[in-house]
Amino acid sequence: MATVRVKGFSVIRDVLGKEVVEVAVDEPAAVGRVFDVLLEKYGKPFRDVLWDPETGRMTPFLMRLNEEIIRSTSDMDRQVRDGDEIAIIFPVGGG
Amino acid sequence: MVRGFKYGGYVGQLLRVNLSRRAVSKEPLREDWARDFVGGVGLTARLFYEEVKPKIDPLGPENKLVFMTGPVNGTMIPAASRTSVCAKSPYTGSFFHSIVGGNLGPEIKFAGYDGVIIEGKAERPVYLWVDDDKVEIRKAEHLWGKDPFETQEMIRKEIGDEEIHIATIGTAGEAGLPYAMILCDIRAAGRGGMGAVMGSKNLKAIAVRGTGGVPVPNMLRVFNTAHRLTELLDSNPAVKGLSDYGTPRNVAGMNEAGILPTRNWQTEVFRGMQDITGEVMKEKVVKAHRACFACSINCTKYSVVPSGPYKSIVNGADYETIYGFGSICAVDNIEVLCKADELCDTYGIDLISTALSIAWAMECYEKGIFTKKDTDGIDLRFGNADGMLQMIDKIGRREGLGVLLAKGTRAASKIIGKGTERFAIQNKGLEWPGHTCRPFPAAAVGYATGPRGGSHHDIRPTAEKSGLVDRKTLEGKGALAAEVNHWLILSDSMLLCHLGEPIWGPMQISANTIEALNAVTGWDLNYDQARKIAERQWNMIRCFSAREGFTREDDQLPIRFQEEPIPEGPMKGSYIPKETLERLKNDYYSYRGWDLKTGNPTKEKLIELGLDFAVQDVGAH
Repeated sequence: MATVRVKGFSVIRDVLGKEVVEVAVDEPAAVGRVFDVLLEKYGKPFRDVLWDPETGRMTPFLMRLNEEIIRSTSDMDRQVRDGDEIAIIFPVGGG
Repeated sequence: MVRGFKYGGYVGQLLRVNLSRRAVSKEPLREDWARDFVGGVGLTARLFYEEVKPKIDPLGPENKLVFMTGPVNGTMIPAASRTSVCAKSPYTGSFFHSIVGGNLGPEIKFAGYDGVIIEGKAERPVYLWVDDDKVEIRKAEHLWGKDPFETQEMIRKEIGDEEIHIATIGTAGEAGLPYAMILCDIRAAGRGGMGAVMGSKNLKAIAVRGTGGVPVPNMLRVFNTAHRLTELLDSNPAVKGLSDYGTPRNVAGMNEAGILPTRNWQTEVFRGMQDITGEVMKEKVVKAHRACFACSINCTKYSVVPSGPYKSIVNGADYETIYGFGSICAVDNIEVLCKADELCDTYGIDLISTALSIAWAMECYEKGIFTKKDTDGIDLRFGNADGMLQMIDKIGRREGLGVLLAKGTRAASKIIGKGTERFAIQNKGLEWPGHTCRPFPAAAVGYATGPRGGSHHDIRPTAEKSGLVDRKTLEGKGALAAEVNHWLILSDSMLLCHLGEPIWGPMQISANTIEALNAVTGWDLNYDQARKIAERQWNMIRCFSAREGFTREDDQLPIRFQEEPIPEGPMKGSYIPKETLERLKNDYYSYRGWDLKTGNPTKEKLIELGLDFAVQDVGAH
């Protein structure tokens, strides 16, 4: 069993209830499995802030996996280990 | 109201005001220009190319200031209420468009005009009062010297109507400060010195009241389109959060990614970030939300610091405020940032150029190039919040070091020398917004080739920032930048809001954009036709730049981004070396069918786009 810290900001933090939550996943596990667990735990509110209803797919975003930037579009199969940290860096266009 | 214009979404009439002659005239909108250039920036670029001679003084009477709407303005289409304000920029020397949200554009249309063209120069200060078809040039000596908020209040009282919408300049615009802005009610046409152009014409304000409507060919189709697009916007994860947090939603995430520009871009990680996030702003200062016309996003925050040294009321702070006066100047106090925002609005100056000019001076000070003698006794280190606020005052009043900083970083660094141009964070003279390109090659070439320079509205880094494309590869990045240019310029011609990027873009013109345009105009454009319009618009602006003497050599990035890798954080090591930039430029020009040597459109490209009248001017062959 690996425990992964997940950080989220603004609307994601609102759904998680705090900035950092810990997610337990059976090893070996990939980044995608962490999101499956989060979706099981937080349900529709979590889906609403990460999945695009128009496409039915996860909205593309970057993540920081420890010190490395990875992509939701290509890196969900990356392995995670106990003590890893994933920060969800939401699509940012800015004004 | 003009009846019988060929296309829906247009009023069919332009208002032209010659201040030198105190003449007001109304003229029909050219149907061919509406069809070929749509409206907003595209239409104004065509008009400018026709009417404004090359190499004119931007602050002379030959320059024009054009407030233009687009066909979707004033309809139910959401995130589509913006107004383009265009002129030849006194700051960059290029054709410039500054886009502002709010209500002004819809109100201009309700008054019966697709746009307002201001030309000449009034003998004495005046303001323009547009009351449907009644247009008056009124005396404004009593308004001269007033800040934008005082001016708006006085005009509303004078006219006796609280509902009018007003674009006005502050004292900076009156004085010709080259990055002076225009405040339109509570929102700013901030960039490129449009306020200086307005001030140069002795025009203090434009007040508008309209009671008409916008004709569309099929109201049910527009209603259904608007309804569908509103639902899309409201449910899109990339838009959610703007209502609760505004654009500062981005601050914490960008810092996590190592792309929050800090200390005049010496790094992109800010250790004081946790005190200036959107979350902190919401908790400490935000009192209400404000929306633009017919928009459900509600991105503007109404914030109050009720007492203390930073007592202020602002419509913000926006992300750019937090970037500019926060991480860039290393100030970690949200109340200070609100005060900085209020000061900029009160003087009528662009907060990005103001903040970057101060940050440049802070770096000069820390490097020993400036001493307290130069800074009027201020200890201008990064992080000195009060020193930063004092410097905004000095810029606004053009006092002491403020005289130099009011010229902007390009001019100031040229005057000071000593290598300070290496950390003047500008290109084409325009200081940079808070969106990096060092890890993002498509954004880099987009910024470099953009007509305005440091504008994140000529290019959006979103595709690379969200992971839609591989940020590391150079392959295909010229094409990506060009297609992002296209959705941006078409949206700036329809006057769509870029915060609706997930539905209007983000990598090319979207089906939603075309659907909105077709619904209001009655056109039946397909993707290729819409893209060709956008390509024509982009090339038109490039021709204007070429005619002014801009070349490939002007398509640069700030020197720091070409020489200094990001020193820490997850993006450590990222930068765009000169040879990479040149390769990206070749890729971009080739994709566009532009001449690799000059960076200008070729004869064949101009003829293909129906811009053959520009062939000789730009020396295309």
